[in-house]
Amino acid sequence: MSTIHLHGLVKKFGDFAALKTMDLDIADGEFMALLGPSGCGKTTTMNMIAGMTEPTGGRILFGARDMAGVPMGRRGVGFVFQNYAIFTHMTVRENLAYGPKMHRAPKREIDRRVQAIAGLLELTPLLDRKADRLSVNILQRVAIGRSAIMEPAIFLLDEPLSNVDAAFRAVMRTELKHLQRAFKQTMVYVTHDQLEAMTMADRIAVMDHGVLQQVGAPLEIYNDPANVFVARFIGAPGMNLLKGKPAASDRGLVVDLGPLGATPPLPTALAAAVSRSNGDVYYGLRPEQTMLLPQGPGIAMPVTFVERIGARTIVHLGGGEAAVKAVCANDVRWVTGEAAFVAPVEQSVRVFDAATGIAIKAE
Amino acid sequence: MSATSVSATSVPSGEQPAVVEPANTGPRAVDAEARRLGFRLTLPAQVLVLFIAVFPLLMQLYISLTDWSPLSGVQWWSAWSQWNGFANYTDLASDARFWSALKRTAIVMLVCVPAEFLLGLALATLFADEFPGKRLFYSILLMPMMVVPAVAGYMFFMLFQSGGPVNDVLTSLTGFPITLAWLSDPTLALLAVMAADIWQWTPLMFLILLAGLVGVPEDQIKAATLLGANAWQRFTTIVLPKMKVIIIIALAIRVIENFKIFDTLYIMTGGGPGVATETISVYIYKVTTQDLIWGYVAAIALAILILLSIAAVFGMKQMAPGKSGGKPGAKREGAA
Repeated sequence: MSTIHLHGLVKKFGDFAALKTMDLDIADGEFMALLGPSGCGKTTTMNMIAGMTEPTGGRILFGARDMAGVPMGRRGVGFVFQNYAIFTHMTVRENLAYGPKMHRAPKREIDRRVQAIAGLLELTPLLDRKADRLSVNILQRVAIGRSAIMEPAIFLLDEPLSNVDAAFRAVMRTELKHLQRAFKQTMVYVTHDQLEAMTMADRIAVMDHGVLQQVGAPLEIYNDPANVFVARFIGAPGMNLLKGKPAASDRGLVVDLGPLGATPPLPTALAAAVSRSNGDVYYGLRPEQTMLLPQGPGIAMPVTFVERIGARTIVHLGGGEAAVKAVCANDVRWVTGEAAFVAPVEQSVRVFDAATGIAIKAE
Repeated sequence: MSATSVSATSVPSGEQPAVVEPANTGPRAVDAEARRLGFRLTLPAQVLVLFIAVFPLLMQLYISLTDWSPLSGVQWWSAWSQWNGFANYTDLASDARFWSALKRTAIVMLVCVPAEFLLGLALATLFADEFPGKRLFYSILLMPMMVVPAVAGYMFFMLFQSGGPVNDVLTSLTGFPITLAWLSDPTLALLAVMAADIWQWTPLMFLILLAGLVGVPEDQIKAATLLGANAWQRFTTIVLPKMKVIIIIALAIRVIENFKIFDTLYIMTGGGPGVATETISVYIYKVTTQDLIWGYVAAIALAILILLSIAAVFGMKQMAPGKSGGKPGAKREGAA
């Protein structure tokens, strides 16, 4: 087990900065998810931790040990590839035994370790099967077992579920989480799927365009996004953001949304913070915490589309800059063209500085 | 297709089993008809194959059982008048010159093919990575393969003259005046001939092996590295097993080709001095053009064909599925 520290990590490919600068401390035994859209620098970060690519600048420490110049075979890192990279010309047993064999462990010890790891991962009956004829969940377990047998301090997983169909992904998520609990290693998990990050990670590092946007526990990131990017990226659908100007009213501080009118007054603590900032703001509310009422008070908006996804129904309102989505019960009666009043749940309202995109926090 | 749809629609819709039945007989009926059509369509090709492969083989077998020669005054189809049964084959068994030519061919093969393989593999490993001037070296490296063998033969004939460039280079390298009579010394002539073959055919080996090497999944190599395998371990445990099929193909091509080694060699030495570089092809050529006993030639050629076929079958067995390194992606998706 080991902590991981990234200090001012930079990676450039020619003129392109894949990772602008990254500071991150990962605790011992923590499950950290690196989450972000394609090209955000998450895989680059992981490859640098593994030693597959050298950073352009900054330092990587495992515990107190600087990893600069340490080749990837000597870092004590277990790596699970996106496609698992199982040695298809070998049996499951040969795959599991590969690491110890390369380190010239005695044959009896190899056998003992293979047996132990196979037992843990329920691979014992499959040990002599050729690895090119296995289903994905078994491949995943072989990939994990092959790395785990080396007892690495750190486990890196590169989108291991992206090749799996949706139904199976749920099974594998739970399985992975159980395995992490069993191994107690520090795990870094790269994914673009927020559901995976939310369900499995202790903490999530959200990245975009080579910049770390926010680090925090899943709910923290969902409830209190640090900026507009995180607000839009996390949640399905993401947070509704309406641009406006803070304005005083007889009921307290509201946000003037222009043609849409004014919002309900902001909670006092938030209002105090907002009143100290100047310029435009984004008024943010989670679709799950957006109520739709047949009459006021609220922001009047036309229903433009009703998206029924089974368990829930997503009602789309307005359009362009002033678009709002509301997650409702699946049997709501709204139809396209109707006028609805958007009523936010007061405590769930978030405000962002429109110029910088950074959240304005209540104190 | 058409038969299925016709029978399916003509059945009354209410009868369940009746719908099932045509589905079973339909395709079979189509199959038979399709097979007849297929036979008719491929008939010209089959006739062609018959003429270019089967007919000469039968003709060869026929002539090999006679004493026929173009000088015997009868057409080849009347060769039965000189029928001698299996005499050619029994002669062959005790023909010392044939056996020594066969042995020499085997020696050339056992030196050249492994040398070409190892050189080709080393070059392929080098070319799998990027380095400055790679494209230029790549083009230069492929040139020997494109040289007409007769031209290559003449080139090496000149190179290995006793006052030729090879001796000049050796002289300047060692500091001693070297005047080896390459092509008139039995051992040196064989070496010279093998050098020419290695020069000309290493590029082919290189090209095939490079294709195989590039196909080795990079992730698996990285995975091996992360598990602590060093370069040599990665090469022996991942790269070579993954290249097994392509290596067998490359070796098979070169073994078969090398067995027939002729043009370059014949121009360099004519099989000489004496019979020092007389390989099986040179021997056959000499018997054909100088001794003119074609019945015997047919017997030799057939014997060699059988030998090569046995080797080929053995090679194919090595390539059988399950023994192969396998293709990673395709099968796994099927299993998923």
